[in-house]
Amino acid sequence: MSETVLDVHNLEAGYEPGVPIVRGASITVRKGEIVVVLGPNGAGKSSFIKAIAGLVPITGGSVFLDGQDITTAPAHTMVRLGLAFVPQTENIFPLMSVEDNLRVACGILERRDIPARIEEMYAAFPDLVRQRRTAAGNLSGGQRQMLAVARALIVHPKVLVLDEPSAGLSPKFVSAVFEMLAGIRKSGVTILLVEQNAKAALAIGDRAYVLVEGKDRHEGVASELWNDPVVAELYLGQRPQRQQGGAA
Amino acid sequence: MSLQFIVDGLLTGSMIGLGAIGVTLTYSILRFSNFAHGDFMAWGTYATLAVVSAIGATFGKVAPIGPLSFGWPLLVALVVGMAFTALLALLLDKVLFSRLRSQGQAIIVVMASFGASMALRSLLEFTFTSRPTYFSRAIQIAMPVGFGIRITPDQIALLALTAVLVLGVHLLMTRTQTGRSMQALSQNAALARIVGIDVAKVVRVTWIVGGALACVAGVMIGILVQIRPFMGFDMLLPMFAAAILGGIGSIPGAVLGGLIIGLAEAGAVQLIGAEWRAAVSFIILMAVLFVRPIGLFGVRER
Ligand SMILES: Nc1ncnc2c1ncn2[C@@H]1O[C@H](COP(=O)(O)OP(=O)(O)OP(=O)(O)O)[C@@H](O)[C@H]1O
Ligand SMILES: [Mg+2]
Repeated sequence: MSETVLDVHNLEAGYEPGVPIVRGASITVRKGEIVVVLGPNGAGKSSFIKAIAGLVPITGGSVFLDGQDITTAPAHTMVRLGLAFVPQTENIFPLMSVEDNLRVACGILERRDIPARIEEMYAAFPDLVRQRRTAAGNLSGGQRQMLAVARALIVHPKVLVLDEPSAGLSPKFVSAVFEMLAGIRKSGVTILLVEQNAKAALAIGDRAYVLVEGKDRHEGVASELWNDPVVAELYLGQRPQRQQGGAA
Repeated sequence: MSLQFIVDGLLTGSMIGLGAIGVTLTYSILRFSNFAHGDFMAWGTYATLAVVSAIGATFGKVAPIGPLSFGWPLLVALVVGMAFTALLALLLDKVLFSRLRSQGQAIIVVMASFGASMALRSLLEFTFTSRPTYFSRAIQIAMPVGFGIRITPDQIALLALTAVLVLGVHLLMTRTQTGRSMQALSQNAALARIVGIDVAKVVRVTWIVGGALACVAGVMIGILVQIRPFMGFDMLLPMFAAAILGGIGSIPGAVLGGLIIGLAEAGAVQLIGAEWRAAVSFIILMAVLFVRPIGLFGVRER
């Protein structure tokens, strides 16, 4: 449990020159962990993981994946390097069928392995099977999230990076998404998760970081962070509750 | 009213449709209206003509294939012309469009394509003069096929070629990883990169397909009508009308749009006179934009 999969050191990134959004953020994700990144709105959480995924220009610091420097790797090479990213919004191709959404993500797999791998995804996400010919844009919010995650997992990533997978979902689906993530971790996939829903995220997470103004301000064991009154009040914007969050 | 307009319309529609495929692909994948697309047609046609002449100079006179007006040299030249046009499109993208695209302002790319269009056309006029020329001066006998419709062997061959090409592009788009990547890029460029699609490669394929089909459309015009430097530019409005009528991004839509406009043009010529031909595309384009801006096969953005 101690082998480092993702090591982000002093990352600086921004959309325009001279306007840094991520300002020296560092995190470490070890094999088999779920690591949660929390923070207030506009803290730069999305920008931070988008920079890791190669989608926001990096101006300083480094990103290592499994010991390999991927700081300057273009976004489209990330899946080959072992990092699969699920963006916060628009994370499916709405006009393509569910099956084509999965298939188009299989570019790095051996052609002959693809059909079996797609069936494995249907086995893991049974809700998608009946919809395989449906245009992905017609799926419910929860099913879209399932599809986006299946699409990311299909390439056997070393680390799965998700941006607020529960955002905008009805409560029923929110718990389904967190159950799904816990299940994915059980299957051996390392997860880096950005979340607004701090309570649910800390409940399944191992460790957590709090990001404020583009910088990591606090790090801790997930179950303890929830009960840390300073963190809860200052960074999560919620009053601490005495009930145990508890790691899964 | 004679039904002959159906044959004429389908032929014009095929040329428009093949051109509109390139227009719709560039628009949906590269996100700009390429006004130089018509000039790709003309350049492809002149390149094909040049190769035909070179083969003629080397091998002497070659007998035509069966009842057709042309022999194997034109087929070989067409393949060379398609490759040439694809390269021309790639080159123009490399030296002009890709640089402007990276600056992120679509309107500047559109303007650049307008400038490229004029430059390409002027170069053709300068090199080949504006006098029309032909692949063959042989007159083909049109065969009656019933209902007062007559059709020449060339026309039958070219309709068949169009059908084969359209089917091929459709299969490419829907059944291959390259085609799915093109669809993905047109729907969400950032997500396409996230799922591992090399955007630069897909862009190259887009230009190759669009350029090659533009050449075929141009050569069809050359065989059935005549070859002029303005031949492609004159197709611009019908091609855009067809792409928009079919729904931007849709290959079947572009072809169907082309056929509808071709038939409407041919019908209008017969009913109200040839001088109204050009107005037809314009009227159809306006009607689509008012009634159903997303076109026949288009889908509303969600
Ligand atoms: N595409 C963009 N171009 C320029 N600035 C951006 C862009 N996206 C985000 N920003 C800016 O970066 C800052 C951080 O935004 P970001 O989305 O990373 O925060 P976040 O922590 O994910 O917020 P949220 O909790 O709302 O998702 C904001 O000030 C935002 O205005
Ligand atoms: Mg965000």
